[in-house]
Amino acid sequence: MSNSTSDQALKAHEPSYSTEERRTLPSGEEEFFFDVKTSDLEVNMGPQHPATHGVMRVLIRCDGELVTGAQAHLGYLHRCAEKIGENVEWLQYLPYTDRYDYLAAMNNNLGYSMAVEALMPGFEVPRRATMLRTICVELNRIASHLVAYGTYGLDIGAITPFLYAFREREWIQSLFEKICGARLTYSYIRIGGVFNDAPPGWLTEVGHFCDVFEEKWKEYRDLLALNHIFIKRTAHVGVIPKDMAIDFGLTGPMLRGSGVDFDLRRDMPYMAYGEAHEAGAFDVPLGEGEKGELGDCWDRFSVRVQEMMESIKLVRWCLEVIEDGPIIGDVPKVLKVPPGEAYVGIENPRGELGHYVHSDGGKIAVRCRVRGPSFTNLSVIEELMVGTLLADSVAIIGSTDIVVGETDR
Amino acid sequence: MELQAIHDTLTAAGVAGLLGCDEPRPSNKKEKDQGRSGLPFLMVDPAGIVPLLTACRDMPLLRFDLLIDLTAADPAADGEDLWVLIQLLSLKHRHRLAIKACLPKSALSMPSATAVYRAADWHERECSEMFGITFEGHPDPRKILLPDDWDGYPLRKDYEFPTEYHGISCE
Amino acid sequence: MIQEQAQQALSHAVHPGSNVFVRILEWLPLPEWVPGWVITLGGVVIGMSIFLAVMSVLVMFCVWLERKVSGHIQCRTGPMYAGGWHGWAQSIADGVKLLLKEDTIPNEADRTLFWIAPAIVLGSIFGAMVAMPLSYDWWFGRMDLGVFAILALSSTTTIGVVMAGWASNSKWSLYGAMREAAQVVAYEIPLGLSLLAPLFVLGTFSLNEASAMQSGWFGMKWAIFTNPFLIPAFMIYWIAALAETKRAPFDLPEAESELVAGFMTEYSGIRWSFFFFEEYAAMLLMSVLAAFFWFGGFESPLTGALRASGVEETSLLFSVVCFGTVMIKGFVGIFLMMWMRWTLPRVRIDQVMTMGYKYLTPLALFCVLGAACWEALQHLIFS
Repeated sequence: MSNSTSDQALKAHEPSYSTEERRTLPSGEEEFFFDVKTSDLEVNMGPQHPATHGVMRVLIRCDGELVTGAQAHLGYLHRCAEKIGENVEWLQYLPYTDRYDYLAAMNNNLGYSMAVEALMPGFEVPRRATMLRTICVELNRIASHLVAYGTYGLDIGAITPFLYAFREREWIQSLFEKICGARLTYSYIRIGGVFNDAPPGWLTEVGHFCDVFEEKWKEYRDLLALNHIFIKRTAHVGVIPKDMAIDFGLTGPMLRGSGVDFDLRRDMPYMAYGEAHEAGAFDVPLGEGEKGELGDCWDRFSVRVQEMMESIKLVRWCLEVIEDGPIIGDVPKVLKVPPGEAYVGIENPRGELGHYVHSDGGKIAVRCRVRGPSFTNLSVIEELMVGTLLADSVAIIGSTDIVVGETDR
Repeated sequence: MELQAIHDTLTAAGVAGLLGCDEPRPSNKKEKDQGRSGLPFLMVDPAGIVPLLTACRDMPLLRFDLLIDLTAADPAADGEDLWVLIQLLSLKHRHRLAIKACLPKSALSMPSATAVYRAADWHERECSEMFGITFEGHPDPRKILLPDDWDGYPLRKDYEFPTEYHGISCE
Repeated sequence: MIQEQAQQALSHAVHPGSNVFVRILEWLPLPEWVPGWVITLGGVVIGMSIFLAVMSVLVMFCVWLERKVSGHIQCRTGPMYAGGWHGWAQSIADGVKLLLKEDTIPNEADRTLFWIAPAIVLGSIFGAMVAMPLSYDWWFGRMDLGVFAILALSSTTTIGVVMAGWASNSKWSLYGAMREAAQVVAYEIPLGLSLLAPLFVLGTFSLNEASAMQSGWFGMKWAIFTNPFLIPAFMIYWIAALAETKRAPFDLPEAESELVAGFMTEYSGIRWSFFFFEEYAAMLLMSVLAAFFWFGGFESPLTGALRASGVEETSLLFSVVCFGTVMIKGFVGIFLMMWMRWTLPRVRIDQVMTMGYKYLTPLALFCVLGAACWEALQHLIFS
């Protein structure tokens, strides 16, 4: 990407320089300076920067430690996922879905599979497949939130919680390895069902994992979320009010962190989530402004931490109700999808993952649009970072929990 | 709320630019119609998108708070139109709305939705670099995912893959 | 009474003669025509080399310890292969690697300053260590104002850090340097003030004498047990020492998630390792200083027992015990620092400043006042 730093102005939040050498700081204070000519510093945060969670670039303008302007530059990880979707067969595209939000590959598989299934009228996914899907998706949600938990700790400067989180994530990955042979990019959830039944003893081990994780989860919460320095660093920082969250189209924990009570799994249920909610298998945790203001970084973080527990409850429920049966519907090897268009949005760990697929009846999609939650969630940072300190801006980027693979696709 | 009801509500409120509903239909072999499955769309006129979205957002019966997605599609290389597709979601009523606006390839320009939903900002930037659609009134019409000097609109069906980029062979 | 105590303490704290290495050279059968200044100079050179070697080994041990401690805190094992037993040679292997690594200097950097900065950092911290005695009998440069020397020289490292940040011509480095300057200036004050409290109690600036003053009660008359105001003073000292040594939660000058690597972003190879070295040397120094002024210095029940059994303070056995004691105390402090680093998140720059100026400085002043009053009260009651 060519450089566009100086010629294009950063988003307008520029403090006004006037001839009297006086200006107004974002906090509303006035600053005077008579002898010293100062100018703001433009700093490139990224694309190779530890706080950008991958290869994203944020151009920030700073007055000392104070951020006075921010502009996100994306596209360093753009891999043409949508174009590829128009060039490969339906089933062949599935492995590509693993790669946009690589921390929640199961969820991506599910989103795409459901979008294609929506184009096949009358097609019904077998019950056991639905349950296996739910277990895998929820386990992957835990794994993804564990990364969010750990890396947010890293952003704030606590290194150890990251390794603890990865210890449990490792277990989830080896569970996935047992069921589908892959540890990161699963391609396990296929169009029509899942591709492999759970090996003997797998479901018992998942149950065991739930028991152990519940204990560990309390430690994690106490270690980081309730740590005094952590609260000082994240409460009152990066506050997204309710209406701003809605205006920016935020979804997932970002939206719930601002106190908006909406979860696709509960409110527009798909798969077995409606049934699960009726059975009281899960709640939707919301940000409450417990430690600071409603919608601050701590609230978003706390929502993710609590969601892990809800996922555990969901997995437990699935383990109770799962029964034997077929694991994949009748889907031909070379799939010809009936003509039509479908949009399916599901609740990913980061928000609504939407797939718009358009088929003309052939073996290849006409259009395969991916609406990644990270992309929209990220758009809010330009606004949030202005007027904060440099360290806060890192906390804000971390609290959006983006996966750059998904913002750029 | 079903699409037809949404359409009627909007019509009753006097919103202009509605071009009907595109509902899925079963296949009909006699008329050699393959049918269409999936999602119903509200067909709209791209020029009137701003008042329409405002009405969708503000009408108490609709309350589409979230603009989930704004994208485009090029259904056919030899077709005359590009489609602009908008997904709306209502937090209150828990319903969705899919909007489709057909833009002729000869005049790829429509008003920007950023004044109604700020979420449209980045989606429109992506859409315009990928399809070459100009969103009038967009506050920051730079490219977002592609390099600033990228030629062509990659997601169009008539896009030709470049053979080199800044001296780097792409073949 | 205090005077008596001091006299008693000083009698075995102060040994006539000079640097231990000059004494060794004097003891050697050198020909008579060798002039005295050669002997002195030789002593200094040999002394410096041995001193550097000893300190470097200690610092390398610190680095190894950090890796092991962090490993075990994080459910890992840390280094296990280099050298065989629990990766004891890992620091040596790292040192060799860093020596052999390419040493890059950015094109736009100010080359002279870029070269000098690590030397200043390392030089000043080792300079400060000169004032640190290893036992009553082993020392390299005993000073009556040892604390002053240590505080003055160790805060000189800041100049090197600011220089490194400026010379790198990188914005991240500059941020690191500015943070370091602001932070160190803010925390020098509580650091010095909190040290004043034990100085009142012990009545000396010299480390040897401070240790000797705490030799009563069978080696357990540690300053922290004699005056209640020294407990908060130690806490303030400890927090300020963490900030001085740029250790988490005050690692803002490096802040790897914010500033990439802060002032050392552009450094590589051996030059980078100088900064690394400095961090651990400063940790050692700060912990040892705490040991000297709060926790009895060389004194422990073991030295008490030795003294009771009539072992001379100048004997080799006594010196080894003294050295071991102070090092154990120092490494307990270092372990504490590591424990904090791997547990706590980083604070923000405004919080650092607020804490330093608004809370720690007045509290430290209060501790000084309290410690002084307590001493005066004791004097009034017991004399």
